[in-house]
Parts: sequence; structure tokens; C-alpha cells
Amino acid sequence: MNDIFDCKLLLVDDEPELRKMVGNILKQNGFKKIIFAADCSHARFMFTSEKPDGVLLDVSLPDGDGFTLMREFRTISAAPVLFLSARDEDENRLLGLGLGADDYITKPFLPRELILRLHAVLNRTYFPAVLNPKEKAVFYLGETRIDFNSGTVNSAKGIFTLTAKEFALLEKLFENKEKIVTGDSLCLAAWGDPLYGYENTLMVHIRRLREKIEPEPSDPMYLITVRGLGYKLVGVTLS
Amino acid sequence: MKTMIKILSRYVLSAAAVAIFLLIINFTVLAAWLFQSAREYGKNYTINQMADGLTLSNGKFSLSDPIATELDQHQQWAMLIDGKGSVIWNRNLPSDVPLTYTLTDVAGLSRWYLRDYPVKVWQYRNGLFVVGDPKNSMWKIGLELPMKTMDNSRFWVPLFLILNLVTAVILALLFGLRLFLSLKKLTTGIEDLAQMKPVSLPSQGILGDLASGINHASAQLIRQETALNKRDNARTTWIAGISHDIRTPLSVIMGYAGQMEEDKALTREQQELAVIIRSQCQKIKALINDLNLASKLEYDMQPIRKEEIHLTPLIRSLAADVLNSRISDKHTLDILIDENAQNIIINGDSQLIRRAITNLIINSMKHNPDGCDIKIRISSGSKTALLSVTDNGSGFPPQTLERLNQPLEPMELDNHGLGLTIVRQIINVHGGTASFSNPAGGGCRVILTLPVLPL
Repeated sequence: MNDIFDCKLLLVDDEPELRKMVGNILKQNGFKKIIFAADCSHARFMFTSEKPDGVLLDVSLPDGDGFTLMREFRTISAAPVLFLSARDEDENRLLGLGLGADDYITKPFLPRELILRLHAVLNRTYFPAVLNPKEKAVFYLGETRIDFNSGTVNSAKGIFTLTAKEFALLEKLFENKEKIVTGDSLCLAAWGDPLYGYENTLMVHIRRLREKIEPEPSDPMYLITVRGLGYKLVGVTLS
Repeated sequence: MKTMIKILSRYVLSAAAVAIFLLIINFTVLAAWLFQSAREYGKNYTINQMADGLTLSNGKFSLSDPIATELDQHQQWAMLIDGKGSVIWNRNLPSDVPLTYTLTDVAGLSRWYLRDYPVKVWQYRNGLFVVGDPKNSMWKIGLELPMKTMDNSRFWVPLFLILNLVTAVILALLFGLRLFLSLKKLTTGIEDLAQMKPVSLPSQGILGDLASGINHASAQLIRQETALNKRDNARTTWIAGISHDIRTPLSVIMGYAGQMEEDKALTREQQELAVIIRSQCQKIKALINDLNLASKLEYDMQPIRKEEIHLTPLIRSLAADVLNSRISDKHTLDILIDENAQNIIINGDSQLIRRAITNLIINSMKHNPDGCDIKIRISSGSKTALLSVTDNGSGFPPQTLERLNQPLEPMELDNHGLGLTIVRQIINVHGGTASFSNPAGGGCRVILTLPVLPL
């Protein structure tokens, strides 16, 4: 198996139109081997005979429910299961019982959503290294170059090294670039604790960070304060 | 216990009041009766005055005129018996009254009757002055009591009265206790009735009818409750079933629309139509989700996962999510958190609380498509967290406002979906309150209160 598109996928759903539609989506998105089943007994047969690498499983099937079927599959193979559910109660059961499902998606869903989740599930199972690259990000804020590998900031003002806290804060902001990151989640990232009592400390660290990355720290262009909520990293360019 | 004392004291008081009232009435009637009969008797002169009115002059007796008139008026007669037993003077003397008397005769008449005429006697010089009333006009009794008895009565009469009083009080207490005991059973029965517990009271005794009435009402209530529950269950299951059935075909529509959106072979116009189909599908999806959640919240079928939540990070994070999703550029969202509200902790389901606040924000955006400024403010009351969501938009329509501030109707659907109904339901299951208003300066304001956990 070279990439996730080589995975053989088993789609179990009793609705022929839905099978056809999902099959279409999967094919269009590059998955080559897709097999279908309409009920539990057929799915059991396909699972043992075809040995799929991943299963898309409807929760309510005419001759049983997907949860029980998944437990049976798990005794045979560790192939990941993505549930397709049409009921809110399914969500409660999935969360409540901790069935060990890899993920679930509620009907109706957008094709893009399905593909994203499927990619994530398959990658996690078969190519875990892809999700945790050794290579860390390098990006620019205007002329300033930030390298997370060395933890350095290279600007017209000189080269600075990021402290551990500054690094954690900037990494969190970069992961959510162009989005507001609340003070709470920044504190959680840097100190493992939410905001209560850390406001001033957070402000101090943000000020020091700005001194390193902003051309004019008193008038920030890239690390913007969102009053009452948190901060936002804008103007990021990659390489 | 309190009720028992109350009932007993009422009983004793009313018993005492009845006794005193009866005594007063009896004495009044007795006094009135005596007074009336004395008047009917209507005599102006006592026997000694009459005797004094008889004078002897020149060996001849004469009765003063007013006394004589009085005697005649009342059909009385009078006579004077001398020491030897002969009648030496008389007036109106009936013919059947003898004119001579022996000592024995005198002893007999002195106190009682003379030939059935009630008589009174008074000594007159060496004789006896006798006045007689008509037959059957007077009843005379003699009273003789041993002196000892009369002496003891000073002690016995009050004791007798006290004994009566004590008996009355004890009886009142006993009756009161009995009433209290039978009422107590009924009271617990009625309390159980209010809590929908099955009630089965013994239906004997003075309040038996009442007890069996309560039993009946309880049975009826429980029957209705069961029927209602059954119907509510059926309705929720029905809504859940329909939602399930709609979701699968909707997935197919949405799936294909999503594909067409990105299909390079289609023209731009066709792709835009696909976008419309997809976004309408998403609206239907949201509607189905709302309907499901609302029906479950209403019939307590939504599992609530309560935990300790720090309210302010939750609000900040949902505000950031709303802003990050870039729903609209025309709307602003500001968060204001009072200093003393920073560390508020509530016991709640964070998903549902998030849903409620998000619904309020989305509601403001939806009803002010040309933009408005939305402000969320969190402040702290004594035992509650106050959360207000205010905008400077068009405000609630008057009818909507009136309905929103009334108690939650079962499954109300307005023409703008279930968003605000769900807000009220969620706040309800958290033991809080939601009030809706249009402040004087324009726009709308929703104030939510949620009970806080002590720090």
C-alpha cells in the first residue's frame, strides 16, 4: 500500500441511492477499490472474503445495527470504521459507550466533509507518520522569517530565539492562523491551564513575542489583539 | 405538629366559647323570665304592707283604698283571724272558705293552700292576716336543706363548675385529636396527589367520602399521566423516525449538489444553482436537528451531560468560533465580562449552553440582515450568572416578544424556526430563566440567568 487511495473500502448502507452517491464521491476523490453491502449478513460475508482496509458503516441496517456489526469486525481485523448515522441518538451512543469507532458523520453530509474525515481516519491508521511530520513549519510575517525547527525569528532587527512559552503561543496561533484564538486556549497551550489568573502573564508574553516578530511592537500588524477574546495571527505567508 | 396544635386550640377555644355563650344566654333568659312573671303577677304591695293598710278604728276594721282596689283587681281576697280562730274581718272572701279555724287548720294554711287557694299569712296584732289568690294561680314549694349541705356548697359549686369545664376541654381535645388524625391522612393524601404519587386512603370514618374522593382523583390523575406520557413518547419517537427517514434522501441530494458545485464540466451558473440546492439542504438539516432537539428537550428525553463548566472561557470560545466562521462581515460581536464574573462555574451541559448562546447570536444576525452590533455581557448575581445578549438591530416584533415572555408552550413553532424555543428549553433544564425585551434605545435584549456553583 503506497497511499490511502490503495485502501479497499467497504460501504454498508441499505439505501441503494446513497450507496451509489457515496461510491461516486469516493471514486471521484481517487479511491480505486470500493465494495458494497446492503445489510449485515452481506457485510459480514464481504468483510471476511474481501478483507477491506476501511469500512463506511450505516448505523441502522435492516437486519441489525452497525454497532454490533463493528464489534464483530473488530474481532477479525483492526480496519478502521467510519459510521454514517442518521439519528441524534446514535451520536449519544457513540459518545456514551466509547465503542471505539474511529469517527462518525451525521447524515446529511457534504462530500468534502466525508472525504476529509475518511482521509484522516485512514491516514491515522496506515500512515501515522504523515500526520506527525518531523519537519516543522517555516513561515514569514512580512520580511520576518520564523522557523519552528530552530525556534528562531529572523528579522531586520536581528535574530531572536523564542522561549518555550513564546514558542508554544506562536505555534498555537500559527496552527489557527487568520482565526481568533481565545486567551483560554493560548494559556492551555503554554501553561496547560486555562485563563483564570494568567491574563497578566499572557499579556507579558505576548508583548515579548511582539518585540521579536513585529516591526513596530507598539502598533502590531501581525499579532492582533481581539478585545475581550484573545489574539489572532494574520498576514502569514508560507516560504 | 403545628397543625395539630392549631386544630386542638381552635377546638378548645370554640368549646369554651360555646359554654360561655350558653351560660350567658341561659342567665339572660332566666332573668327575663323571672322579671316577666313578676310583672305579670303585677302586685304593688307585699303582704306586710297590706297588713299595715288594715286599720282598726272605733272597733271597726278598714282597708286603705289603694290596697282594696289592688285586691279587687287581682281577684284576691283577704281576711283577719283573731287569736281564737274566728274571722273577724274579710274582703271578697269566697264562700267555700270557712270562717273559723282550729290551731291545726292554721298550721296547715300558714304555708301552703287553703281550700286550694294559695295563701300568704302575716301576723297582725293578736291575729293572723291572710291574703288569698285565686285557685290555680300560684305554685308553692318548700325548700329544706341540711345546713351542712349549704355550707359545703361554697366548695361544691365552684368544683362542679370546674369539673364541667375540665370535661368540656377534655372532650374538645379528644374530638379535635380525632379530627386531626383523620385530617392528617387526608393531608398526606393530597400532598401525594400533587406529586402524582398513587394514593390509597382508608375510606371509613367521618371523612370517608372525602378520602374515597381523593383516591378516585389520584387514580384518574395517574391514568391521565400515563396516557400523556405515552402520547409524548409516541410523538418524540415519531419525530425522531421522520427525521431519520428524511436524512437519508437528503444526504443523496446534498451529496450530488456538493459534487455538482465542484464539477468543472458545468457552467458557472449551474454550479451556483448547485450551491443553492446544497445550502437549502443544509437549512433543512438544521431544521430537522432543531425539531428533534426541541421535542426531546420538551419531554426530557435528551440526555443532559452536566459537568462543572467555567462559563467565561466557554463564551469566549464560542464567540471566537462565530467570528472565525465569518458568517457575516456586517455584524460585530463584543464580549464584556465583569471582573467578579470571571471565575463563574455552573453545572451544565456545555454543548447545550453553547447551543443556546449561539442560537441567540444567530437569531440577531438572521433578523438584522443589514448588520448590527451584538454584545454579550456576563455579570455575577448573588447565586446566579447573568448573561445578556443585546443587539442594536430591529428588536423583537411585539407579538413575538409577548409570546417569548410567557411560560413555555408545548412545542411551539413560530415562523422563524425553533431557535429561541430551544434557548428557553435549554435554560429551563439548567434551572435558569430567560427574559426577552426591547430596550428603550432600540434593538433587542435577552437576559439569561443560570444558577452558579459556589466557588
